[in-house]
Amino acid sequence: MEEPVDTATAILASASVLLRESMFDDISYRALADEVGISERTIYRQYPTRAHLLAALSNWIEQTRFPLPPFVTVSDFRAAVHERFRAFDALPAYAYVGARASAVSPTLDTEPAYITRAIEAMLDVAAPTLNRRDRRRVAASLRYFSSAMFWSRLRTGFDLDADEICDAFDRAVDTVLARLPSSSATRAEP
Amino acid sequence: MTGPELSGTQAAILAAYAELIEEVGSDDVSYRVIARRAGIAERTVFRNYPTRVDLLLATAAWIEATLFAREKSHSIFDIPLAIRDAMHRYDERPELAHVVAETAMRGVSGAAPSPGRAHLEQLLDAEVPSLDAAQRRAIIAALSHLDSAGTWVTFRREFGLDRRDIADAAAWAAEAVLDSIRNRVAPT
Repeated sequence: MEEPVDTATAILASASVLLRESMFDDISYRALADEVGISERTIYRQYPTRAHLLAALSNWIEQTRFPLPPFVTVSDFRAAVHERFRAFDALPAYAYVGARASAVSPTLDTEPAYITRAIEAMLDVAAPTLNRRDRRRVAASLRYFSSAMFWSRLRTGFDLDADEICDAFDRAVDTVLARLPSSSATRAEP
Repeated sequence: MTGPELSGTQAAILAAYAELIEEVGSDDVSYRVIARRAGIAERTVFRNYPTRVDLLLATAAWIEATLFAREKSHSIFDIPLAIRDAMHRYDERPELAHVVAETAMRGVSGAAPSPGRAHLEQLLDAEVPSLDAAQRRAIIAALSHLDSAGTWVTFRREFGLDRRDIADAAAWAAEAVLDSIRNRVAPT
């Protein structure tokens, strides 16, 4: 906590403060520069376009506000996603930034998100003999239903609260896992 | 899926902007350049779309309704096929697919995170009227989510899938969602 903060991080911290009052689109580089106490030029040097700023801000928010609880089993995965959706619900402005950043044309060399790797690892354990194509179908589906995009779509497009979104998520996960062959351990879980 | 009626000028602005997004590879295009491409005055663009968010929302809706328009499905069980086609179309116009996906996620009023929702509800209610509210909601939500540019973006970005595999995985997931109601169609 006491560590000296570099400029790039200071910019993100200030941007997240401004997000409490305004939408991302309404945060100008000038307002941001004033908030941090640096020149607008310095911000441009760190984040040449708003897309760069969005991507970095989303990563930072993800790490500081929405750390993903580790999971190995499918039931832990469900619990982790529920916790995440509830956290999104408590800080919607931050969650929208994450949903949006995951939709933009990538500006940096984007690595798959941590949750993607965690889902793949979970399936390796739960369904070790599952063929590659089905594994990919299952992983991609679970990933997409556990995303900030899913939460955001259900909140703004369907006016659902966190409980209802978690319920829709659980049902979607059920339908995907029901397609796994019965020998897979995943089905046995509640 | 039909948006608000557009004037000829508005349609020209949106088409010009969409064209430029594809050329530049970004939605960061100035009003001046858009006006020049549309062959109108910059003022006219501002009069129709006072802010960039207005312009983006209108453009994304226009792109979805024209370039990415879905062939009409006559059954909820046709939706996976429509999703498969849609994924192919997104893959042909990656820049525009990103714009549509991002705009849906802005979390502002006017963004349309699920433009096809009403149609899905109509189909589901006609064919499988016996669902309880939570079941119905979950199916509509899951299918709306899958039938979107967000699917194409996520599958590509997070899993590095190509066009064929994206279309396959998206349609597969939609089939999975429908599994629980396959045998619950109301007799006609």
